[in-house]
Amino acid sequence: MTRKMGFSRISFADAIGVGTLGLRTRKTRTMLTALGIAIGIAAMISVLGITSSSDAQLKSELAALGPNLLEITPGESFTGAEVSFPEDASKVVERIGTVESSSAVFVVNTSVRRNEFIPKQQTGGIAALAVDLEMLSMIDGAVAEGQFLDLSSASLPKVVLGSVAAERLGITSTRRSPQVFLDDTYFTVIGILAAAPLAPNIERAALMGVEIAAELFDLQPEPSLIYARVNESLLDDQRRFDETRSVIAASVLPDAPSGVSVSRPSDLLAARTSTQNAFTGLLLGLGAVALLVGGVGIANVMVISVIERRTEIGIRRALGALRGHIRLQFVFESALLAALGGVAGIILGALITVTYASSRDWVISVPTTSLGAGVGLAVAIGTIAGLYPAARAARLDPAEAVRPRV
Amino acid sequence: MIQEEKTVVLELLGVEKSYPGNPPVRALRGIDLLVRKGELLALVGTSGSGKSTMLNVMGALDRPTAGNVLIEGQDLSNLSDRQLSSLRGRRIGFIFQQFHLIAGMSAVENVSAGLLYQGISRSRRHSNAITLLHRVGLGDRLAHLPHQLSGGEQQRVAIARALMGEPAIILADELTGNLDSKTSEEIIDLLHQLNRDGSTIVVVTHDGAIAHSFPGMVTLLDGLVANDSRAA
Ligand SMILES: Nc1ncnc2c1ncn2[C@@H]1O[C@H](COP(=O)(O)OP(=O)(O)OP(=O)(O)O)[C@@H](O)[C@H]1O
Ligand SMILES: [Mg+2]
Repeated sequence: MTRKMGFSRISFADAIGVGTLGLRTRKTRTMLTALGIAIGIAAMISVLGITSSSDAQLKSELAALGPNLLEITPGESFTGAEVSFPEDASKVVERIGTVESSSAVFVVNTSVRRNEFIPKQQTGGIAALAVDLEMLSMIDGAVAEGQFLDLSSASLPKVVLGSVAAERLGITSTRRSPQVFLDDTYFTVIGILAAAPLAPNIERAALMGVEIAAELFDLQPEPSLIYARVNESLLDDQRRFDETRSVIAASVLPDAPSGVSVSRPSDLLAARTSTQNAFTGLLLGLGAVALLVGGVGIANVMVISVIERRTEIGIRRALGALRGHIRLQFVFESALLAALGGVAGIILGALITVTYASSRDWVISVPTTSLGAGVGLAVAIGTIAGLYPAARAARLDPAEAVRPRV
Repeated sequence: MIQEEKTVVLELLGVEKSYPGNPPVRALRGIDLLVRKGELLALVGTSGSGKSTMLNVMGALDRPTAGNVLIEGQDLSNLSDRQLSSLRGRRIGFIFQQFHLIAGMSAVENVSAGLLYQGISRSRRHSNAITLLHRVGLGDRLAHLPHQLSGGEQQRVAIARALMGEPAIILADELTGNLDSKTSEEIIDLLHQLNRDGSTIVVVTHDGAIAHSFPGMVTLLDGLVANDSRAA
């Protein structure tokens, strides 16, 4: 008589129960082994989270500053000659339909010194600029100390210092009316600006009214820089945005539009931050090494576990388990062990990110894909780490395995 | 006449088993044996005579080097490892000297594991397991873990596990070897009881008193059957 015989099988729920038994009965070992993976995953998640938070912070700063700010400067014409803008360039720009407002900046040919005893050559890279009264709101600047130029001070020998200029001149307060020396006139510092990341030129300058500049110095009548704010609606439409750029160039210099450089300061700022990526890569690499070590730890613990549980394996084979069932049990256990570490790791990594980002008053951003990828990576490592121990367990000879141990 | 009508559960035909070595160990050297349904058989012999080896071969835990093993008429020699495993799970119940309960699992779960690999629902296995635990006198130890049970109690759990799924034959190797004499007696009484209820049981033992209390006794000597009390 030949019986029609199906193979042994185990329900999904039972397989879960079997696969978790080893972890449930060895809690301390489970926790310590999972810790290795948790550290690796936490390192990677926090690196990604901190990078992403810093990016998000930057984006929100740029958004606050206004990505619709354009900086229009004379470049070189295609013949290589330096170009200069017409005197009314700012007004021309402002007349363009998609431009909301504009403001011109003029270079004043003078040195800026703390006092008359400092040699003329030692200017510390501080430029003197003549600006109109709207310039500050144009670059979304703010006054840190004192006040900005107004109608009356614009025609008096008074300056407002950019944040970097003030620092280089060693002026931290306007309370005692400090003075700076321009050519042969002492100007009173009435204000110090806060940092203006979108306008590094302004940060490094002493600003005065156009009237006093024209009166006292050799003021170039052609603006050397024009700030313009374009309509916000252009930001969502790259084609119209580019169009406006060309229109600006063509309006400022109809004969040589290629000599007009129209750039967006927020783009430059965004590009500058991407240089941090090399460091991020290094930290991610360290996290990967921690993960690898964690994976080796899991493989090691699983091999020990298989040796310890030789009789259990024998019993299961005697009770009908196929080699595949034994293999599955240990691969599952190993993957689950790593998954526990992975979950602990993403929680830890997210906590580190949140703590760090909030300590710096950053926007908190933890990329959700990295969380999923973290657990996925852990499971993959656990599975690979479990393959060899599981194969050893499955290979055990059942008769050998149930033999009494000495 | 009546004996002839009883179904043969297990048959060994010229079974040999050698373990590799220099020279190889010939643990079984040509064994013929017949076990019929409802038998309670003792397997005795000096240490090293091949009792455990024979029991493993009978239970499809190990393959013979030569000869044939037939379980319920099916020759095992052509079966794959998967088929042998499945057959063990379905038709054989094992009881070991060291109980071999799975640590971390309660009495009910250990008994229930007797049918773990048969794809039977957990609730059905559990209710079967509870019935069997009552049958072996452990109705009040259902949730105990192995280390919370005495040796005798652990062996009762192991017996209940072997009974799960009504196997064709139960194979026990020195099942009282780790128990005191009073507990052994109780366990042997339990085996008698199970046999009266219809189980076919083969027990390896070197305890003469136990062996003589059984209706049949086969004596091994150096890998050969030296005496079969049933032949007389
Ligand atoms: N895995 C093995 N490798 C090599 N030799 C083995 C192996 N298992 C058993 N043997 C040998 O086979 C012979 C029979 O062993 P077996 O365990 O069947 O004896 P036994 O009758 O059960 O003895 P005991 O009463 O001491 O348990 C012994 O000589 C033993 O040394
Ligand atoms: Mg033995």
